[in-house]
Amino acid sequence: MSEALRFESATRRFGGLVAVNDCSFSVSSGELVGLVGPNGAGKSTLFNLATGYLAPSSGRVVVGEEDTTNVPPHELARKGLSRTFQTPVFFPELSALDNVLVAAHQELPLVSAITGAWKRESQHQEERARMLLRRVGLEQRASVDSAELSGGELRMLEVARQLFNQPSLLLLDEPTAGVAPHLQENLAELIRSVHEEGVAVIVVEHNLGFLLGMVDRVVCMAQGSVIADGTPTQIHDDPAVIAAYLGGPK
Amino acid sequence: MSAFVQLAALGIAQGAFLLMASLGFSLTRRVEGFLNIAHAQYLSVAAFVTYFLNNIAQIHFAIAAFAGVVAAVIVGFVVGKLVYEPIRHLGPAVSLITSVGVVYMLDGMIEIIVGTGSFLVTLPRVAPVRVGPVTITLYQVLVVVIAVVVTLATVRILNHTKIGTAIRITALDRYLGASRGVDVKKAGNASWLLSSAIAGVAGVALAVLGALTTHKGFDQILIILAVALLAGLGSVAALSISAMTIGVAREVSLLWLPAGFRDIIAFGIVILVLIFLPYGISGRVE
Amino acid sequence: MSPLLAAVITVGILIGIYGVVAIALNFQYGEAGLINFGVVAYFAIGAYTFAILTAGPPSETALDQYRWGFNLHPFLAALVAGLVGVIFSMISGWPALRLRGEYLALTTFAFAEVLQSSLVNVRAVTNGTSGFAGVVQPFRDAVGNYNLLILVAALALLLFTMWFFQRLVRSPYGRTLRAIKGDEVGVTASGKSPEKYRREAFFLSAFFIALAGVVFVIWLTLARPTSFGAEITFFVWIAMILGGEGNNWRVLAAISGLIIFDELIGALPLESVEAVQRVNAGQIFLTGLLFVLVLRWRTPRAGAI
Repeated sequence: MSEALRFESATRRFGGLVAVNDCSFSVSSGELVGLVGPNGAGKSTLFNLATGYLAPSSGRVVVGEEDTTNVPPHELARKGLSRTFQTPVFFPELSALDNVLVAAHQELPLVSAITGAWKRESQHQEERARMLLRRVGLEQRASVDSAELSGGELRMLEVARQLFNQPSLLLLDEPTAGVAPHLQENLAELIRSVHEEGVAVIVVEHNLGFLLGMVDRVVCMAQGSVIADGTPTQIHDDPAVIAAYLGGPK
Repeated sequence: MSAFVQLAALGIAQGAFLLMASLGFSLTRRVEGFLNIAHAQYLSVAAFVTYFLNNIAQIHFAIAAFAGVVAAVIVGFVVGKLVYEPIRHLGPAVSLITSVGVVYMLDGMIEIIVGTGSFLVTLPRVAPVRVGPVTITLYQVLVVVIAVVVTLATVRILNHTKIGTAIRITALDRYLGASRGVDVKKAGNASWLLSSAIAGVAGVALAVLGALTTHKGFDQILIILAVALLAGLGSVAALSISAMTIGVAREVSLLWLPAGFRDIIAFGIVILVLIFLPYGISGRVE
Repeated sequence: MSPLLAAVITVGILIGIYGVVAIALNFQYGEAGLINFGVVAYFAIGAYTFAILTAGPPSETALDQYRWGFNLHPFLAALVAGLVGVIFSMISGWPALRLRGEYLALTTFAFAEVLQSSLVNVRAVTNGTSGFAGVVQPFRDAVGNYNLLILVAALALLLFTMWFFQRLVRSPYGRTLRAIKGDEVGVTASGKSPEKYRREAFFLSAFFIALAGVVFVIWLTLARPTSFGAEITFFVWIAMILGGEGNNWRVLAAISGLIIFDELIGALPLESVEAVQRVNAGQIFLTGLLFVLVLRWRTPRAGAI
């Protein structure tokens, strides 16, 4: 199996603070990995390093075969690396359908707009967007202004958009945050089905219960470093992990 | 060489004027958080009130000048409270755009009253003084002296009075200051008054140093911007260095460039500073 | 021809020319969120490039200080003028577009002032304060009332500009621009670069503004530095804010209103030069007042800044 993502001694400093400290691990294509750790462990920073929103202070990040240092986030997104954010990112004033369609029409948008070439594929793109909305359970909400959607719906909308361009690697940053409990099962099911299609997924979660039964592998971070890497059961019983969590709220 | 020294001396007088012109502008920038393009118009108000009272109403220059400063203070305060404060929450870009409207309003008002053309404030004629290789007028020296006085007074107010401290805290962090019990409203009022007063004095200096046109105010704003941006958000000292540098550079450049290119220098400085030194020579403000 | 008809044609031409600039500005501000205070620069470049390219070689008289006249065909010159406008926007955009909000405004403003200053001072190219007179008017001999032809050309350009930008706004391109105003990070996560879209909006607008400058100089047959000051930038800005940035028709209505108001004032039977000056000053004051009131009482669209 080839590698989807690899951190090689990745470090990220902010002034005197070391947010990510010499992290090295890799995720194979098709793996479903949970990334856990107490608040401030560096999980989101690690995500930002992987997706190009931050550059490593030292070390590097490799996606597929390429070093991603200095590659801007939008380019990484086009190479099949997709992510969601702790607070669901969406575009107010656009309908749910349009929110998803922002990811569409990637080729030469200006030329296509002037010549009208986009119209040829617009039906196909729209069908695809509706299909994704159906998949996340937002089919009925397609024409609704996204500003009127609930937190859980916005999360599903964000995932739908991030799936539009068939990523090979999906990074989800605390996807259950702000999602009502009864919707979380839908979210878990969605993640499983995406994984079954061969997409590598990394899920950052505080809610360990959400991850159990879904992932085969959990990486635990604390204070910027990887302190454990194993099956959920191994992590659950790992003394270092327990010690890290005892220090702060779950 | 002597031409160089002469131009440098003129540059110092210019720099002194620029310092006063930019001091109030910088204060507004720090306390209110936006760039008030209409600031140069406050100079115009003072200059033209001085001209009007001195030349037309035949009032003694000192009184006319004082009235000019008072006029600038009133205008600056009123505009600040009625126009800028209600829209502050919309952000600095909106405030900047709005200040263009204020420029039109003030320019229009001034032109309605005095008309267009070139105006010279009648002052007692003084023979130019020769100091070594340099020939200067008493008025230029006076402007430098007044600039020093105004600057030192401002520094003293900001550092050694209660209201000055309130102003500095509001400039640093308005919300933190308010939560700590600083009367930010009073500090805001005081800063409008102070910056307009300094602008008023600069306006009088403008009237003294040369002929006035109704567009002279706006012509100054780009140079004021250059001075303020080059200085960054730092101290009065940084502003002084910046003002002197630009003042002298503009005058001395006449040795090598035609007069028209001086403005290109000012504009070029604005562009270069914004690209390479976004925080000015002060660097990042802590 | 009656004076009323001549006035109507003049108003129509002005609406056409400034309308193009306003629509282009509306696109870069209303859709792309760019505060461009240097709009007159592209206008000037379009005008001057056309004048320089269509001018003959300099005569021997002392008045002609410029060195190069190319005698180019007007249509070619117009196209090149538009492209030179784009090139200037690329040069000024390279530093300016890294900045946002008020600093973008200042940088673009500074570039426009540098340009106007250069128009005066780089005499070898621009013929200094005299500028270029007697600019070539294509098809002059073929038409009786030439201003009528210019009116048609100006309005045609206006309609084309509106159609062009509407077309962009109604396509996925426009959707992406609206998304950028909503949340830039989300747009990058979708694989698109907000910087690229802003750049494109900036350059495209410059092209149309330069073309408006070409029509302007053909109409006036004169290209002089004093014609291209910051007042033009702010005139169009005020119209756009008054009309409500975003809606092309309202912006067009606003600029038409300002132009008509201006012409009406100019037509007032005033006795003296002072009276004219006072009235003009009053007009400036009222424009500023209206501008401030509109900004004070109507919240601009959030995210557009």
